[in-house]
Amino acid sequence: MSLLDFARGPALQWSVVIFLVGVTWRLLGASLAAYTKDYAKARSTRTLFGGARTILVRSVGKPQFHKALVFSHVTGYTFHIGLFVAILFFAPHIFFFEDILGFSWPALPNGAITVASGVTVAILIGLLYRRLRHPVQRSISTSDDYISWFATIAPLVTGMLAYAHIGPRYETMLAIHFLSVEFLLIWFPFGKLMHTFFIFESRGMQGAWFERRGVKA
Amino acid sequence: MSLSDADFLHFRTELQHVGDMAQPTEMPDQERVARAKEVFMESLDARRAVHLESCIHCGLCAEACHFYISTQDPKYTPIRKLELIRRFYRRELSPNRWLYRLVSRDLTAQDLEDWQELVYDSCTECGRCSLICPMGIHIADMVAVTREALAQAGLIPAELRGIAQEQAARGSVFGVDAQRLLARFDELKEMGLEVPVNKDKAEVMVLTSVLDVMLTRDTLVATVKIMNHLGVDWTVRTEGFECANFGMLSGHAETQWIASKRIVDAAIACDAKVVITAECGHAYPAMRWDAANFYGKPLPFEVMAISEFLGRELEAGRLKLKEIENAVPMTFHDPCKLGRIGGTFDGAREVLKDLGIELREMASNREMNLCCGGGAGVFLLNRATPLREKVFELKRQQVNETGAEKVVVTCGSCRLNYLSGKVHTHWDKDIVSLVEMVDDNLADGGAQA
Repeated sequence: MSLLDFARGPALQWSVVIFLVGVTWRLLGASLAAYTKDYAKARSTRTLFGGARTILVRSVGKPQFHKALVFSHVTGYTFHIGLFVAILFFAPHIFFFEDILGFSWPALPNGAITVASGVTVAILIGLLYRRLRHPVQRSISTSDDYISWFATIAPLVTGMLAYAHIGPRYETMLAIHFLSVEFLLIWFPFGKLMHTFFIFESRGMQGAWFERRGVKA
Repeated sequence: MSLSDADFLHFRTELQHVGDMAQPTEMPDQERVARAKEVFMESLDARRAVHLESCIHCGLCAEACHFYISTQDPKYTPIRKLELIRRFYRRELSPNRWLYRLVSRDLTAQDLEDWQELVYDSCTECGRCSLICPMGIHIADMVAVTREALAQAGLIPAELRGIAQEQAARGSVFGVDAQRLLARFDELKEMGLEVPVNKDKAEVMVLTSVLDVMLTRDTLVATVKIMNHLGVDWTVRTEGFECANFGMLSGHAETQWIASKRIVDAAIACDAKVVITAECGHAYPAMRWDAANFYGKPLPFEVMAISEFLGRELEAGRLKLKEIENAVPMTFHDPCKLGRIGGTFDGAREVLKDLGIELREMASNREMNLCCGGGAGVFLLNRATPLREKVFELKRQQVNETGAEKVVVTCGSCRLNYLSGKVHTHWDKDIVSLVEMVDDNLADGGAQA
């Protein structure tokens, strides 16, 4: 079995299994813990509305925080969008997903994907630099931050190298790209990348808590 | 009517010795850790678990925290204050605990001691950080849990510990017990004010605070006059009158319930429909939001902050006020515990509007309010004084930017902190109580019925 066969075959299958089981385990493990009943009379019973509002509104942030949030929002939204564009709209990726899902969607031109990937990689490098330099971020950073950073940037970099035919021969580079994606999938349930799922639940719970008290969070 | 700087300074000097009466809480290190862990174990439910799973270590919470903003010291980053509960959760309860146990170390007594400064001295549990967190983590809520853990581990700072011990054992705070309260009411009687004490039945039971008995005495006078003016069927019960809750401030849950239960029992004894907390920030969430959960069922009465009650009476047309002629512009300080944590914003503003006051809002107001820096007992901690004074500068700047001449407050602790800042910086602003302003401007023949 060649490296590419391994990467496309058992490595991919097992990493997807670990991803799915791990994500489900962690999501359910936290979410299905006991809930504490609140006996205080609610000021507002529209807790679902309050939760939904916080899920949406926190994406923009309170106006008074905008100055503090602008860097995070610009870099954060740009790199997340760039990441999803590269994953979902690169023609070879769409072929890959079509094999699994049975349907496809239009691809973006390769040039656009290159720009999206390049911008995302640049921002991720900038964010790593900031994490290492900014006193607050540095003080709260753990190995999770650096592993998650590597797990996110590696598929982008290896994908760009494979596309540009830079480095080892194409098949080897493609195998490395697959392996980097598999590393991302395997790491996903163990680190902070899980915020992809927890963000909605966490915001919603906070919004509901404050709504009960009559406070717009 | 207002509190003189001299009276305040005298009181503040006395406060500096409040820790001297604290009983020691010695115990082996192992027991400290075990007790703290027990609190974490009991407190961690699904909501807190999800919050603890969600952090992306962005550090944005620091940008909302008055302690970080004013010092730029990363140790005050709010999410760092949750490190102990997060580590416990990850190692003992999280779905991936088998992994975290391999890569993290267990809590130690030294960790608990190290976190004392972070959760007592440099956090007022104001909750502003919770509102900036992109993941929606309710940081302040879990700082409160960490305080509870440290309290059980015998690590409450002496100042808060001493008062909490007094309140739990004797029911008094700073020596203000039923006798002292009755003596004060006798003084009011000599002034021609009737206080309906210990009525068997009353619609409204009014709470007061140690501050209003000892220091901000005009606020208690004003409260009595307003209640009488409104013609409300009200009482003060000597077995449950103190709304300051040093169990809550210290994080000692048992003491919090002891203090709250006295009020619950007193209210039930007189069949009160409404219990009104005095101008005391934390007293409101202690009774309005926490007491029912200790009680194990909804409280059989409504809990209102006095500012909230005044707003309601005004809206109902029972409270009639005179407009203040040539009133100077004023600003209003939203106490964190009444506002962001408690959910009351409008009552005080309605009253100020009715008094004809030009209200100049601070840049941070309502749920975005910046804490004065003295809440959650920080005002009482001697070693926190330099930090607290530094933090207060933010508040002073925001007040100055409004151009207002007076700051209206509805929380005794905020009032003390403002007065401290005023004295410390020779500030020209007047700090005034909403209740006292209402009393000064009651319309003749108001809603006596």
